[in-house]
Amino acid sequence: MNPKEEKVKIITEEFDENDEDAGVGSQKKTSKMARQKRKKPLPAAGPEEMVSENPHLGNQPEPLQEDSDTRPLSMTTRRGPRSLPPIPSASRTGFAEFSMRERMREKLQAARSKAESTLLQEIPTPRPRRLQSPGEKELETEFGAEPGEEAQKTQQEDDSQSRSRVKFRDSVRKIKTKPPVPPGFPSAEEAYNFFTFNFDPEPEESEEKPKAKNRDGTTQEEEEGEEEEPPVQGIHKTDEQLLISATEAEAFLWGLDHAAADFVAVRPADYESAHVRLQMEKELLFVPSRLTVPTYKKLPENVQPRYLEDEGLYIGTRPDVPRTCQNIMENRLLTQEPGRRWFGDDGRIVALPNPIKPFPSRPPVLTQEQDFRAELETLYKKAVKYVHRSQHMIGSGDSPGNFQLDIDISGLIFTHHPCFSREHVLAAKLAQLYDQYLARHQRNKAKFLTDKLQALRNAVQTGLNPEKTHKSLDTTQKTINEYKSEIRQTRKLRDAEQEKDRMLLKTIIKVWKEMKSLREFQRFTNTPLKLVLRKEKVDQKADEEAYEAEIQAEISELLEEHMEEHEQKMEAYRAAYQQWKAWKKAQRAKKKKKKQAVEEHPEEEMGEPYPEEDPVKPVPPEPTDRALMEHQVRERAARSRRRPGEPLLVPELSLAGSVTPNEQCPRVEVLRREDVKRRSIYLKVIFNDKEVSRTDSRPLGADFRVHFGQIFNLQIFNWPESLTLQVYETVGHSGTTLLAEVFLPIPETTIVTGRAPIEEVEFSSNQHVTLDHEGVGSGMPFSFEADGSNQLILMTSGKVSNSVAWAIGENGIPLIPPLSQQNIGFRSTTPSSSVHVVANGRIPPFLCALKRADAISSIGTSGLTDLKKLAKWAAESKLDPNDPNNAPLMQLISVATSGESYVPDFFRLEQLQQEFNFVSDEELNRSKRFRLLCLRSQEVPEFRNYKQIPAYDREIMEKVFQDYEKWLRDRNVIETKDHIDPHRAMVAKYLQQVRESVINRFLIAKHHFLLSDLIVEEEVPNISILGLSLFKLAEQKRPLRPRRKGRKKVTAQNLSDGDIKVLVNIIRAYDIPVRKPTASKFQQPSRSSRTFSEKHAASPTTHSPTHSADYPLGQVLVRPFVEVSFQRTICHTTTAEGPNPSWNEELELPFRAPNGDYSTSSLQSVKDDVFINIFDEVLYDVLEDDRERGSGIHTRIERHWLGCVKIPFSTIYFQAKIDGTFKIDIPPVLLGYSKERSMIIERGFDSVRSLSEGSYITLFITMEPQLVPGESVREKMSDVLKKFDSQEDEKLLQATEKFQAECALKFPHRQCLTTVTDISGKTVFITRYLKPLNPPQELLEGCPNNPQATAELVARYVSLIPFLPDAVSFAGICDLWSTSDQFLDLLAGDEEEHAVLLCNYFLSLGKKAWLVMGSAIPEGPTAYVLTREQSHYLIWNPCSGHFYGQFDTFCPLKSVGCLIGPDNIWFNIQRHDSPLRINFDVTKPKLWKSFFSRSLLYPGLSSVQPEELIYQRTDKAAAAELQDRIEKILKEKIMDWRPRHLTRWNRYCTSALRHFLPLLERSRGEDVEDDHRGELLKQLGDYRFSGFPLHMPYSELKPLIEAVYSTGVHNIDVPNVEFALAVYIHPYPKNVLSVWIYVASLIRNR
Amino acid sequence: MAAAGPSVFLLMVNGQVESAQFPEYDDLYCKYCFVYGQDWAPTAGLEEGISQITSKSQDVRQALVWNFPIDVTFKSTNPYGWPQIVLSVYGPDVFGNDVVRGYGAVHLPFSPGRHKRTIPMFVPESTSKLQKFTSWFMGRRPEYTDPKVVAQGEGREGENAEAERLKAAQLMLPFSSQ
Repeated sequence: MNPKEEKVKIITEEFDENDEDAGVGSQKKTSKMARQKRKKPLPAAGPEEMVSENPHLGNQPEPLQEDSDTRPLSMTTRRGPRSLPPIPSASRTGFAEFSMRERMREKLQAARSKAESTLLQEIPTPRPRRLQSPGEKELETEFGAEPGEEAQKTQQEDDSQSRSRVKFRDSVRKIKTKPPVPPGFPSAEEAYNFFTFNFDPEPEESEEKPKAKNRDGTTQEEEEGEEEEPPVQGIHKTDEQLLISATEAEAFLWGLDHAAADFVAVRPADYESAHVRLQMEKELLFVPSRLTVPTYKKLPENVQPRYLEDEGLYIGTRPDVPRTCQNIMENRLLTQEPGRRWFGDDGRIVALPNPIKPFPSRPPVLTQEQDFRAELETLYKKAVKYVHRSQHMIGSGDSPGNFQLDIDISGLIFTHHPCFSREHVLAAKLAQLYDQYLARHQRNKAKFLTDKLQALRNAVQTGLNPEKTHKSLDTTQKTINEYKSEIRQTRKLRDAEQEKDRMLLKTIIKVWKEMKSLREFQRFTNTPLKLVLRKEKVDQKADEEAYEAEIQAEISELLEEHMEEHEQKMEAYRAAYQQWKAWKKAQRAKKKKKKQAVEEHPEEEMGEPYPEEDPVKPVPPEPTDRALMEHQVRERAARSRRRPGEPLLVPELSLAGSVTPNEQCPRVEVLRREDVKRRSIYLKVIFNDKEVSRTDSRPLGADFRVHFGQIFNLQIFNWPESLTLQVYETVGHSGTTLLAEVFLPIPETTIVTGRAPIEEVEFSSNQHVTLDHEGVGSGMPFSFEADGSNQLILMTSGKVSNSVAWAIGENGIPLIPPLSQQNIGFRSTTPSSSVHVVANGRIPPFLCALKRADAISSIGTSGLTDLKKLAKWAAESKLDPNDPNNAPLMQLISVATSGESYVPDFFRLEQLQQEFNFVSDEELNRSKRFRLLCLRSQEVPEFRNYKQIPAYDREIMEKVFQDYEKWLRDRNVIETKDHIDPHRAMVAKYLQQVRESVINRFLIAKHHFLLSDLIVEEEVPNISILGLSLFKLAEQKRPLRPRRKGRKKVTAQNLSDGDIKVLVNIIRAYDIPVRKPTASKFQQPSRSSRTFSEKHAASPTTHSPTHSADYPLGQVLVRPFVEVSFQRTICHTTTAEGPNPSWNEELELPFRAPNGDYSTSSLQSVKDDVFINIFDEVLYDVLEDDRERGSGIHTRIERHWLGCVKIPFSTIYFQAKIDGTFKIDIPPVLLGYSKERSMIIERGFDSVRSLSEGSYITLFITMEPQLVPGESVREKMSDVLKKFDSQEDEKLLQATEKFQAECALKFPHRQCLTTVTDISGKTVFITRYLKPLNPPQELLEGCPNNPQATAELVARYVSLIPFLPDAVSFAGICDLWSTSDQFLDLLAGDEEEHAVLLCNYFLSLGKKAWLVMGSAIPEGPTAYVLTREQSHYLIWNPCSGHFYGQFDTFCPLKSVGCLIGPDNIWFNIQRHDSPLRINFDVTKPKLWKSFFSRSLLYPGLSSVQPEELIYQRTDKAAAAELQDRIEKILKEKIMDWRPRHLTRWNRYCTSALRHFLPLLERSRGEDVEDDHRGELLKQLGDYRFSGFPLHMPYSELKPLIEAVYSTGVHNIDVPNVEFALAVYIHPYPKNVLSVWIYVASLIRNR
Repeated sequence: MAAAGPSVFLLMVNGQVESAQFPEYDDLYCKYCFVYGQDWAPTAGLEEGISQITSKSQDVRQALVWNFPIDVTFKSTNPYGWPQIVLSVYGPDVFGNDVVRGYGAVHLPFSPGRHKRTIPMFVPESTSKLQKFTSWFMGRRPEYTDPKVVAQGEGREGENAEAERLKAAQLMLPFSSQ
């Protein structure tokens, strides 16, 4: 039993279950068990059974497959015609499984079971037929075990047929326990089918047929019997058995039957006869057929084979496999179950292209154990001559290269030449037209077409006469129709030709007329050209008749045509009309119906849709109008044809005319002729881009023809690639010019000397020539009309008549390079090579070589001249056009055959971009990592130094972008939180934007490096340095003499945190305020009684005794120390004593660049300041008990802030070192301290000092290591800046450069400024910035009588505008100058802006004022303002508002480079540049070099400044509000800074201070100290009080906080300390705010 | 992996600067350093080193052998900016001044395994003949401000460098990646 069978059985079971009642389980089970049991005993069922069983178990499916495989044709033929309905596959396979043998066995079983059943007295019952499973039908076959294979086979087939029939018909049903039918009898179905079906002839079974028929005949009888049998049997069967499926029952019985045999097996020794064995083998083994498998078997049903090759896809070469092998394989595959998937769409086995390369690609493996000596051995190689172009060379193997190309240059004709006169132009045109006429005349197409028309008409005529034709009528009609259509075509062509002829004639006549009129007009002739029109008389009458006949014929033809057309149209119309009518009828009927319907169901009417639009009623076509047509025809004829009777005109061009001699010509014409005479022409012969020879120089004839008549014999060695003639023209004795190049075709190999025709090759040149005589020139417009209209532009052009041919040798052999040579040169393919190609099936190497190069370009370079042959070869050798290997070749051929290459009208830069896009753009943009990388490479500040960008998107935090996005969003939103004042916030935003745009502008420049940035190289030494160094070499070495060494400068690129230190050397201070006894009230009156006038003449003598009285304990006046804070790092010196302390200490402060970025630009933008604070250290005795004084000292140290010096880091960075004495910024009121000016009496010093009040400190600040400042960057920038556009005059700019260069040559270190960059990046001449501008009216009204006071007030106003260095705001990129109104709007700027504004104010006040460009401490290069008072000069510091006399020692301005006035620049050419030592009289040219002088007058440059400054009054309320807010914030800050202590605020004191501050503002911080002190003492007598007011311009909050912090007021930690803080803001116009902060600490005295 | 920061891969390099061929010079020493992109960070080993002074071998090869070891480990998140080793060779000139004899750079190998690299060395040349003479005379040859610039492309346009001899550095790179 095989599984299939079992399955079938199971199916049967299911049927049973479904149909019959359940409850038969037990029965079934037993049967199943029995069946299982039975499986074992089977083999023991005797030899015969063994034989039948064994193969069956082994390979059951085989027989059928074999069947279908080996004889598929027969199968199908039989099946098809019988037209059996499709059989369900499951059942079919079920059938298929049963072999003959099995059936025999089953029959045996059936017989047995039959016997059993009779024994058991079982009564079979008729079962519903449709339940019968296919399995049961096995029993229906009653053929006995017929011996002989043939019989078996046929039976098998019959059987399967019968079964299938049974299956589908379902008509004949049997019970399985049917009495066995005698062998050889067909089943009932077979019998039935035999009679009912239409059997097709079965050629193979012709022998068996009678047998089968016999059998059928018998079975019929049987069947009858059978039909009756079942009911009988049914009676016998019991009810139980009824439920069991037939097979099961049988199996059950079978099992029982063999129960005994299971235990005892007695059998004879096995013997298999050869026959049986063979049979077995046959079933076991499968021998695939060698026959070709038909395609349809390999494909799914009803599928046509699909050949990809035909569809244009490349499939490659299949590996070579013999046909028989393929067949075997295919057959084998087909027998396997999923075998079909091995077949492609084309029904062939799927195969990859042949992977085997024709030659090895791996280099030969060298043997390892090669002796190294062998490698060292010298090999002798013969010297090989270097061959330049081997591929185009005539190989050495061939006959030596005495090939020869003969080039015959006969002459040259210009069709246009610059020296052509107008007449020549016309003559050339006429000649050209005449040539055309001649050519046309020769061809005489019109005549030909007319004749053809005539012939066609005759043919039609004859065709219409049926007697003359022997053909059938319809063919005649057909030919006539063809003729007619041809007539139409021909007529059209003829008309066109005739019209062209006529036009040409007309043009010739027109040109000739023009020429004649020109000759008349100019009164001379230049050309001998003469046109004669010969009239040929015609017979008028005949002509007219012919004309009329022609027209009539045409009309009739046309009419006919139209009739036909009309007919067709009518037909169409009729059809359409019919349709329309039908529709109309239908519509009417419908309407009627609808009406009824509406009557019946009125509600339904609404929903009914109107099915279609009404067809339009067709309009019958118009019949043609004969008259109209005749009119048309006549009109056309008149246009294109000679009118009847008109004489035939034949133009004849002759050179018979005479040329006017020179004497009678006007001057210009004579000039022209002379010019022509002077010209001569020669040609150069260029072969393979090398000049090989040239013709003689021949003069240009008056007719512009040059005759050479020279033959050049080129002995060639290389294959000719190009052959060019260059036309050179010589004019007089001047040089030659190349007129044009003429490219000659390289002759075919068949063209040899003697046979070569003379060819004319046209050339033209694009040179432009204008002549001053009659010659029309070339490339120049000229006109024949008097008014210059109708302009013509002609280019020099002409024709070279030449012939090129291969020479013939002495023995008549043409001297042509051999063909093999040409192959290499991609020339053409010889038959031999194409044979080679076909044989190989692959492309010959030369084509492979071709493939490597771009196909198109190889045309031009490699002399691929015979493409047609190549194409032919490709077609002949059946190259696969789809093979990518052949693609270039195919392209080449297609290009060559189509005659033009396909040039797309667009250009794509990266054609393959699409192919390389591995993700879509959106996806790429969504990637966070990509975005991060992009932002970093764009150097967005937030990401510029982002390190270690994570490798995965998921690792990138969203917050990385948040700040950036926020910033992007907020760029335009003004943030008022940090700025308090909305205006300033706006300004800050604007400044930010300007900064960004400038930075963007310089981003590229930043990446530009100079050589000096990369390479350290010694400068070119001049002779002095060289001499000095030479001298140094000779110098004695003195080791004990130290020599100063310059510090090494470090570029800021490889630095890290902690590498840079700021060194501050505090040397000494002068005039520090000294303490004043606070407790002693007795002094107060004396102080307050002092008058202001006494102030300057301070009386030291009065004070000295009091001081000594105040400190009886011998306490010093002041114990100052210096604290330096930078980036919140604080260092301080030791405490010195006295008002003029000397520390001489070096403090070291580490520097940290922002974000760890030590690049130059980053360092330049460091905004930090170095605060140098001077404190007084006060010791207080805290001892409560005097008794302990002996045993210990308890003191508390307090420090009182005295003043500070603030130096921006950027200054240190740019200056590299700062060395000098600085004025200490001491608050105007310093409670508890006073200036000690008497104790040290040094007269000389004192007298100088008395001019400027204040304390001073001497400092030296530098950085370690020294950084290379941004100087180089600046210089580089200036180059870049030059490229920025400027609106200045070019001359002026040149002058500035010259001026600067001259100045720099003389005094390289003096600052000279002529042009500056304005805020939009344009270069502006500096004097344009200076112009009198009105200061605020408010300031002028302040003290109208005192001009000096007004000036000070104005200076103070200017100094109140916050200072913001450009280097900080623009990252050291450049110095931008804003105009005064921009400056006032921005409310921020550096020295230049302050100085410009101040200077402008002074100018408006009527002062003589200049801008001083120079250097000062600590600013470095800066701008000051110089004013001239009555007798002396004053130097104003615009940023602080202070002014100094010219001879003030403490003037911070240390050198003067140039002065700038509103209309000139003066450069200091004096020996010294210190303001103390120079003369400011700019009128002296020896001292001052002026920019505008007599040589260069001042051009009156307009100013960039506005006409007038408009000042808005500042909102007082806003200022008050701001004041309150600042106060609140500062108080909070102070409390924050004292986290461990309670901060008490003294309200009395605060209010007192608040009242005092406006006073300070009014007096500008002077002369109020004593009053104030007295007042305070009055109010807060019992407090020890220390405090001071701070004053600064307001820009933003942070500097205020920073300033308060730096005073260290909050550091007092006495338990009962109280604080007072008052803020006052004084508003000036234009939002300039002056801020006063009064901070004080109070300690109640005990 | 993700919690402790970005995931990285490691590049472990160990190898040696083997020998050089400077036929004209003797008593040279070499300096190496690495140039790498922003996403790279050294995690272990020495980033820079100066070798001993070596003399020419006495045989025909005249090799200057250092066998100077290199051992460094980088971590990175991005192959962009793959480390390059920059070698600069110095030695005394006629007057005993220490002058540069060659710069060279090469990318570290991309694949694990044993690699041998031969780096062509070059020195920048003086801009003029006169400068060439004076620099020779004074022993102040043109030098790069930083040897690392040889591994960079920026700003190298105007440079005129004289290509020198060859030099072999052998690098063995067991390569690991997290």
